[in-house]
Amino acid sequence: MSNPFIRIDGVTRTFGEVYAVDDVSLDIQQGELFCLLGGSGSGKSTLLRMLAGFERPTAGRIIIDGRDMTDVPPHARDVNMMFQSYALFPHMSVERNIAYGLHRMGMPKAQIATRVTDMLSLVQMEKLARRKPDQLSGGQRQRVALARALARRPKLLLLDEPLGALDRKLREETQLELKKIQSSLGITFIVVTHDQEEAMTLGDRLGVMNEGRIVQVGAPHEVYEFPQSRFVADFIGTVNLFEGTIAEDRDTDAVIASPEAGIDIRIPHAVTGTAGQPVAVALRPEKIVISRTLPDPYDNVLTGQVTDIVYSGNLSVFHVTLASGKRVRVSRTNRLRAESEGIGAGDAVQLGFTGQSAVVLAS
Amino acid sequence: MKRLVALVPVAWLGLFFLVPFLVLLKISFSEPAIAQPPYLPLLDWADGILTIALNLGNYIFLTEDPLYLLSYLSSVKIAAISTVLTLLLGYPMAYVIARAPEHRRGLLLMLVILPFWTSFLLRVYAWIGLLKANGIVNNALLAVGVIDQPLVMLQTDFAVYLGIVYTYLPFMILPLYATLSKLDADLLDASADLGARPGTTFLTVTLPLSLPGVVAGSMLVFIPAVGEYIIPALLGGPGTLMIGSVLWNEFFLNRDWPVAAAVAIVMVLVLALPIALLRRVQAREGERP
Ligand SMILES: Nc1ncnc2c1ncn2[C@@H]1O[C@H](COP(=O)(O)OP(=O)(O)O)[C@@H](O)[C@H]1O
Ligand SMILES: [Mg+2]
Repeated sequence: MSNPFIRIDGVTRTFGEVYAVDDVSLDIQQGELFCLLGGSGSGKSTLLRMLAGFERPTAGRIIIDGRDMTDVPPHARDVNMMFQSYALFPHMSVERNIAYGLHRMGMPKAQIATRVTDMLSLVQMEKLARRKPDQLSGGQRQRVALARALARRPKLLLLDEPLGALDRKLREETQLELKKIQSSLGITFIVVTHDQEEAMTLGDRLGVMNEGRIVQVGAPHEVYEFPQSRFVADFIGTVNLFEGTIAEDRDTDAVIASPEAGIDIRIPHAVTGTAGQPVAVALRPEKIVISRTLPDPYDNVLTGQVTDIVYSGNLSVFHVTLASGKRVRVSRTNRLRAESEGIGAGDAVQLGFTGQSAVVLAS
Repeated sequence: MKRLVALVPVAWLGLFFLVPFLVLLKISFSEPAIAQPPYLPLLDWADGILTIALNLGNYIFLTEDPLYLLSYLSSVKIAAISTVLTLLLGYPMAYVIARAPEHRRGLLLMLVILPFWTSFLLRVYAWIGLLKANGIVNNALLAVGVIDQPLVMLQTDFAVYLGIVYTYLPFMILPLYATLSKLDADLLDASADLGARPGTTFLTVTLPLSLPGVVAGSMLVFIPAVGEYIIPALLGGPGTLMIGSVLWNEFFLNRDWPVAAAVAIVMVLVLALPIALLRRVQAREGERP
């Protein structure tokens, strides 16, 4: 693509000594649903607030749709935000909340009425148009906040933890709904969340933030399957990390010597780094097959003893302790109701995995 | 236990408001007399018959002499203008304090309350020193050369307004601060985000949401200002007509306690009626969807 719709160029924002956002550069395409994912205090909200215009960058530029918006005040931006607190005006009805931004545009009354009706039906709130915010449930408020933010048909919608206040079931339903609304309107969305599952479900792409920096950007499966750092591997999903050193590194394969794993781990592709360099092999729990005796051959087989089994309905997570003392997590879907093989705590087991599903991370 | 605690304000109001009010009500219906106390009893046991001498004359008298009506009107006018001035001055101050960084708010509030640490009377006297013909303000203006004649400020309505606004300003600022500091900053951001300039945000979000503080502060200023006696007595001139001075004169100069009591009762009604109306309006607003 030619010019990105949004270009965040070397943006830094400090509060006294704190670097809330630290030299972030990011391009976002038109119509994209981009998720900013990070722990609490990683700078997600600050970055979003700079896009909305509530905070000025200490350094760097923000370009939206070809226009430098760095110094444009919020009321003059074609950008709307849905607040984490929803920030509905408590003294106005649902209708008037939604119409608020339209009045500010100087839209004719008849047109405002039509637009408000459209928005109410978009979020299925027609019946509650005359209620005040304090007469609504959390889920209903969330819808009103979304409708209010969308009413002006902004080029860009910013959503700060939009589903944070909803319970789990409602969250999952609303995630799908949000995605549907986004693709039907074609508006670019930037969604902030600290929930990695939500980010992966929602986002076309996601950016992982840590301590004010963007540490990785990519499609959800890229970020999950190919984390580029220990932080990302650990932050997104669960991961087993085996410390080791590069023993052999060839064009087509590599071997990582890992005393922690108790074996030389075979990787069927070249790795970046030179022999002797310390690395870590990251392996997701679902990539490992657990069995008393593995029925099929695997590139890599670990042996250990089951110390714990955590049953969570659809999944069981086995905690296996290797000879080195290293604890490994292995997850398995409970396909059968009665467990055929019946692995129990204390059993000696074999853990098999292919080198293809592991990721080698520089230390 | 909870009930007992709830009884405390009731008992307090009963003891210090209702009982004196009833005593006053009783006196206002009795006949003045040169005696100790200076009125005749309302109830009389004569020959085993209880007679109640309800005397409406004091109230009728209030309507006959235009002095009383003029004083009431003038008091309400002075109190109303002072309340508006206090609001205009207090609102920006409360706003700035509420928006100040949290660690500085304590100090700013402290400065608002600081005048209470000296006696109210002393502070009003200090204004005399400031405002009189050869007072500090006139001397300073003369020295700079802005004026060549001392300004007449003392014993004018101007001085009364100044005194009332100065004295009651904290009572306006504190309730305003209380509502403004509770105002969610996200609401202001949301308003800007939806295209409102700062002035529009103030009119459509900040002001309506701080209305409870405006009402509370205005009440706290208006009600005592209507009955204010000391400020007009010390700073006002002979033309400053306020019901507080009329009351004082009736009690202490004329020693006509029944008329004075009637003046006081009417003043309470003058104040209580608009408050009751306002409360009904507010209650109805609360019910509206
Ligand atoms: N207005 C502010 N004043 C001072 N520090 C702030 C302010 N806003 C954010 N910070 C700090 O910046 C960092 C990032 O905050 P934030 O962007 O809110 O993180 P997140 O939304 O990812 O939880 C935090 O350390 C926070 O304390
Ligand atoms: Mg946040």
